[in-house]
Amino acid sequence: MIGIIMFFAALLMLLVGFPVAYTFGGVALIFGVFAEGPDIFAFMPFRIQSIMENVTLMAVPLFIFMGIVLQRTRLAEQLLESMGQLFGGVRGGLAISTVLVGALLAASTGVVGASVVAMGLISLPVMMKYNYDKRLACGTICASGTLGQIIPPSIILIILGDVLGIPVGDLFKAAVIPGAVLVGAYLIYILVIAWAKPEMAPTIPRDDSLNRKQFYIKAISSIVPPLALVLVVLGSIFAGIATPTESAALGGVGALVLAILYRQFSVKMVMEASVETVKVTAMVFAILLGATAFSMAFSYTGGDYIVEEVLSNLPGGATGFLILSMIAILILGFFIDFVEIAFIIVPILAPVADLLGIAPLWFAILIAMNLQTSFLTPPFGFSLFYLKGVAPREVTTMDIYKGVMPFILIQIIIVISIMVLPSWYGLV
Amino acid sequence: MFLLRLEQTIDRFSDLLGKIAAILFVLMLFNVFYDVVSRYLFNAVSIGMQEMEWHLFAAMFMLGIPFTLRAGGHVRVDVIYEGLALRKKAWIDLVCTLVFLIPFCLLVAWYGVDFARESFQLGEGSGDPGGLPYRWVIKSVIPFAMFFNFISGIGLMLRSINILAGRHQDDDYTPVQH
Amino acid sequence: AEKTYRLKLAETWPTNFGVFSHPAREMAQLAEQMSNGRLKIEIDTANKHKSAFGVFDMVRAGQYDMGHSASYYWKGKVPNTLFFTTMPFGMTATEQYGWFYFGGGMDLMQKVYEPFGLISVPGGNTGMQMGGWFRKEINSVEDLNGLKMRIPGFAGEVLAKLGASPTNIAPGELYTSLERGTIDALEWVGPSMDLRMGFHKIAPYYYTGWHEPGTELQFLINKKKFDSLPEDLQKILMTAMKVSAYNMTIESHHASAENWFNMKTEFPDVQVKNFPPEVIAALKKANDELLVEAAAADPLAKEIIDSQTGYQKLIRVWTDIGERAYLNSMAEE
Ligand code: NA
Ligand code: NA
Repeated sequence: MIGIIMFFAALLMLLVGFPVAYTFGGVALIFGVFAEGPDIFAFMPFRIQSIMENVTLMAVPLFIFMGIVLQRTRLAEQLLESMGQLFGGVRGGLAISTVLVGALLAASTGVVGASVVAMGLISLPVMMKYNYDKRLACGTICASGTLGQIIPPSIILIILGDVLGIPVGDLFKAAVIPGAVLVGAYLIYILVIAWAKPEMAPTIPRDDSLNRKQFYIKAISSIVPPLALVLVVLGSIFAGIATPTESAALGGVGALVLAILYRQFSVKMVMEASVETVKVTAMVFAILLGATAFSMAFSYTGGDYIVEEVLSNLPGGATGFLILSMIAILILGFFIDFVEIAFIIVPILAPVADLLGIAPLWFAILIAMNLQTSFLTPPFGFSLFYLKGVAPREVTTMDIYKGVMPFILIQIIIVISIMVLPSWYGLV
Repeated sequence: MFLLRLEQTIDRFSDLLGKIAAILFVLMLFNVFYDVVSRYLFNAVSIGMQEMEWHLFAAMFMLGIPFTLRAGGHVRVDVIYEGLALRKKAWIDLVCTLVFLIPFCLLVAWYGVDFARESFQLGEGSGDPGGLPYRWVIKSVIPFAMFFNFISGIGLMLRSINILAGRHQDDDYTPVQH
Repeated sequence: AEKTYRLKLAETWPTNFGVFSHPAREMAQLAEQMSNGRLKIEIDTANKHKSAFGVFDMVRAGQYDMGHSASYYWKGKVPNTLFFTTMPFGMTATEQYGWFYFGGGMDLMQKVYEPFGLISVPGGNTGMQMGGWFRKEINSVEDLNGLKMRIPGFAGEVLAKLGASPTNIAPGELYTSLERGTIDALEWVGPSMDLRMGFHKIAPYYYTGWHEPGTELQFLINKKKFDSLPEDLQKILMTAMKVSAYNMTIESHHASAENWFNMKTEFPDVQVKNFPPEVIAALKKANDELLVEAAAADPLAKEIIDSQTGYQKLIRVWTDIGERAYLNSMAEE
């Protein structure tokens, strides 16, 4: 019961507008101490230590740094502009480029905080510069930044593999088609909206002083370096040089090399980029710290039992169960972290799914897709917080909330299509 | 003007934490890079250097949090907040810092002291050969960072008080967000 | 009504962690039934407390009354805890239980844990662990040179002495790292757990074990809390732990057999390999040298090592005449 009250209290308090991280922490403090006494907070250092030791999360500052250096050297801007111009008369070119770059980043990390923030730093300013609709821009970034969850390698797939007893490699393979379909769906949506409402996604004007040849040379010369960097990051994983997390460091050092090549390198620039990296990283980790306090208070005051009880009593046959469990996960995703869902909720659902003859691989991909959506759903979708943290002042929380709505809808449609036509996705 | 000077002093302290964290980040970047290169090219792996990666990483973000508070970098849900007058914002910050931030940071810092002290008394080190000794060093970052967070929170409170007392211009207060 | 005693237990394992998850649950159930409901034990997995390797500290501080974990995880805090899980070239599960219960092992374990206000009790054995998954064959000691392997702890130290490079890789990145050759080899547990990770699809060679011949898990108890229980409940608790540990040992053996059979049927290409005698001899020599170093560094470590090697010598003679002779005679048929 306390858990439920806590949720709504947190919701209300978040609206007041105090920083999200401390609001989570404060609400956890008030309810946790009220119900269990102050000693419940003796668990906090242990939980913080676990976050500190989680080396996978090192990808967050490393990617952010790469993003900031690419932004400061204007290489990212030139990349997106050139890609946008290459799309020529096609409207929405910038947003399309953003989705494509997001998909590439997704293939090198599974940490949402890393990709959303990096994309936010790189492409939001460019889209704003070319008068893109703020909401479309934010939605595109949040959605393409969370692609890392479904496009392998991905943390959520690894956790689900463990929880459901499916080899990680199988899950990675199974996620490729759904991930590609999702990327395709985003692209189609952008093309359609840009065609229907041109003012939302203007084309980027070509530089008239250049002839065709000059234009292509310029485009290629601004696309190749940053793209090569992303390929180095990906390539280092595939060539067995680095783990996915370490590849992010190669990206950071590579960005510095590019800065040197383009004569933009200085100690001052590195220091400034680094301070900026610290600021954004701390924003992400403060939320993680606040959230772990919140989930601690939630579960130690009995919240985990409530959730367990509701879920173990879902009615219906295979179809009914699938629908209800997906809805349940979607709704819970509004409130709880995906890791909690994977570890606490999925083990409750898995034996039932097994009993009903639902293929584990299919079930896992459905859950992964669904959890990916949870990163986007207001009010607690972490992607939204992360983007807000790096967005210019004129972008409000409401812009972001509204901007992701169409993308959430797309995700839900894809989830439904996987549910209805698993064979198309090669899942049964 | 004492309160204004105190606020500025605290701000300078928080900024210093940010600079330290930034240096830790650069060290971490090259630490990871070095580990990758030496493993791939020379098959040489140092568990100690690998552990140093997360030591730097952890100290970086923990010390970065109080700095980010002072720099206005922590995310707010601004659905209502954005439209409020400056004084109302100041009231929100003042009250929430007192009710949420300060007790939270102090309580975690308090338990963090025991946490680090246990480690110190056991002489805890890495369980892996060639790993880093003195685990208490990185563990004591928790109470220290939480205490710094509390100090940075006092800074935010003073700023709110100074605004309510009319000692700040609008511009001083606007949180800088990139 | 009689007073009900409630204990809280923290596991190192996440929720639903195969056979590892069974001992604590069975123990709790047995204790409640045998005590007629007077002893109730509530279990939190690592997904709740989020601190798999904080179990020692949390039980010590009384945040939890009990833990279910493995002793060697605490070697960074208390070096002598290393010896009570399993040792390279050490005893098999059966032999080691002999040492614990009849060879003085239990007393030595309490001697290590008592200064920290803790009681440690055997918590179930995984049985023989496999030597790991390798992307290339190991035919000589030279093949170990520069071998990048994820193998933590003491065994990693042994390999390092022969020129290998033990490497830390986050569990979530193990699969990608082995698949892509970022590392050459890794050790995990055995068929039951390895199958879930899918390593059999990316590394052709599955080497037999040498470094963990009988991994014993551990129940940890806060001593003050234990002493506060009435004597009959103390007895019930101890009995419940012993029975559940025994059951897990048997179940692990069974589960490994079953999973091995399934894996072999589905993936006939997996090649089981033994390290060549030359390699085993070199590993054994390196291991012995490290033990001599450890014994020289600390008198209690020396006492434990002497007790273990002495007991192993004694009981191995019987294992050889008994089981080994029997198995060999069967193999010759
Ligand atoms: Na990914
Ligand atoms: Na193992």
